Amino acid sequence: MRAIFNIARTTFGEAVRRKIILIILILGLAFIIITPGLGILSPRSERAAVTSLTLGLIQMTSALLAITLTIYLVPNEIDRRTIYTILCKPVRRYQFIWGKYLGAVATIGLMLLMMTLVLLAVFAFQFNDRGFNAAEAAELAKAPLMFFFQMSLLAAVAMFFSVWTSPIVNFFLTSGTYIAGTVFNGVFETLKESRSTSPILRALSEAVQAILPNFGRFQVQNAAVNPGQVIQSEAVYFGTAIGYALLYIVVMISLASVLFENREV
Amino acid sequence: MGAAIEIIDLVKTYKTRNNKVNVVDHINLEVNEGEIFGFLGPNGAGKTTTIKILLGIIYQNSGIARVLGKEVGDMQIHREIAYLPEKPYYYEHMTGIEILQFYASLFGNIPKEKCQQLLERVNLANDSTKTISQYSKGMQQRIGLASSLLNDPRLLFLDEPTAGLDPIAHIEIRDLILGFRDEGKTVFISSHELSDVERICDRVAIINKGKIEMQGRLEDLLRGGRYEITASGVPEELGRKVEGKDWIVSFAQDRLIVDMPDSDSPNELMQSIIAAKGSILSVIPRRKRLEDLFVETVRNKEVTK
Repeated sequence: MRAIFNIARTTFGEAVRRKIILIILILGLAFIIITPGLGILSPRSERAAVTSLTLGLIQMTSALLAITLTIYLVPNEIDRRTIYTILCKPVRRYQFIWGKYLGAVATIGLMLLMMTLVLLAVFAFQFNDRGFNAAEAAELAKAPLMFFFQMSLLAAVAMFFSVWTSPIVNFFLTSGTYIAGTVFNGVFETLKESRSTSPILRALSEAVQAILPNFGRFQVQNAAVNPGQVIQSEAVYFGTAIGYALLYIVVMISLASVLFENREV
Repeated sequence: MGAAIEIIDLVKTYKTRNNKVNVVDHINLEVNEGEIFGFLGPNGAGKTTTIKILLGIIYQNSGIARVLGKEVGDMQIHREIAYLPEKPYYYEHMTGIEILQFYASLFGNIPKEKCQQLLERVNLANDSTKTISQYSKGMQQRIGLASSLLNDPRLLFLDEPTAGLDPIAHIEIRDLILGFRDEGKTVFISSHELSDVERICDRVAIINKGKIEMQGRLEDLLRGGRYEITASGVPEELGRKVEGKDWIVSFAQDRLIVDMPDSDSPNELMQSIIAAKGSILSVIPRRKRLEDLFVETVRNKEVTK
């Protein structure tokens, strides 16, 4: 455990200093700050629109951060030969993979936290006179919390691809998986439930749905955007989604470790 | 003394687009404990591949590789060895002491004071709080050597430890390596710096195109020197006669340069030159150098092919 923790800590220290990561974060923060100032929105829908836009920005920025950060973690270590100085110590390859992954998750967590704090500050400033209080802030923060688990899952997918593909290929594979896992689950659900779907197509969509990570499970923005929309049992919904993320992450990182064990670096 | 490294009929094959290539081709090697062993070869000869197999970073296709009496892959080996790769990168945001503390943490049981002691040993105590990005190449190599000593290893693998260093840094690293022998450590060096290898190694092996071409004690391999005789005013008749012998001869106008093995006596040739009213300008006895042996071995292989 100590080796994993120390590799994670070093990965975090390196990641938060990477220029590309900082540029993406600064751009994300800048957009979050200026969004409420866009005067194109009608006062009636302003709050809902701003909530929807800023949460969307946070999600997009953190997805970009998670992918950009994770796809280079292992290849960079191989290119710079740092991996040799680590693997010749009493460190197992699975410890290396878990350490790199947890370092990435810690970085993503810190960046999401910064974006959430800026979001709350912007809302407190913008909607203070319209009753933005602590309870509403807590409600708003639920979406970024779920984004954290969504991005941790996304980083696990990128990590899995990173042990056997190049960073460029990985970028497209992970981005594609993210888009498919966010958008197409609804399509698969419809296909499954439709009576006109052939048994083969139904079985196929069930199989793809089982393999493809369901990123749609972590979308709780609708409740934040439309206060009228209520999740029946938040504890169950959140608990199931987080449990799903953790299980999927363990499977992905374990698979990455197995593949990496046999990889010649 | 037992064997620190044992390699028996080791093969490593890589697939190319059209065929398979044996990067390491049935090699046999033994390195004794407590010696400094030089592993030499041109680029792409299979040196780093062999080291990576011994470290368990890549896997052989066949053959046996043992390190400190255990089959490679045994995690216990990693507690007793160290590896310094060629031109390693260290996390640039970390300071010298943080780098050592990080690597020490991977062993789990190394006291913090050890990091400071090692910084002193490699003359970096005053630079311990500088970040790696502020270190020169030589300083980075010294921090690498310090990190290699954290676990007090019995066996060190050093891949091109002096490559790209200025002469002062070069000497410092060489002296540190010599110090390892005094402590009874085994050092396995892969290097192109043949003058260093000649100075510090007890035994060497030359690998070329995946095969071990030659191995043995340096004093045995370098036995037999040469004489270089330079003379002027040598008549053409004598010059042609000398050219016919099995020596390296350069004869132009009346100037003769002869490079002969020390198994042949130079006296006879010198007497002939004097008798022909030539002048002997110099007689230089030359010790056989590792560079000569290396070039000879690698070139012979190319000619044979």
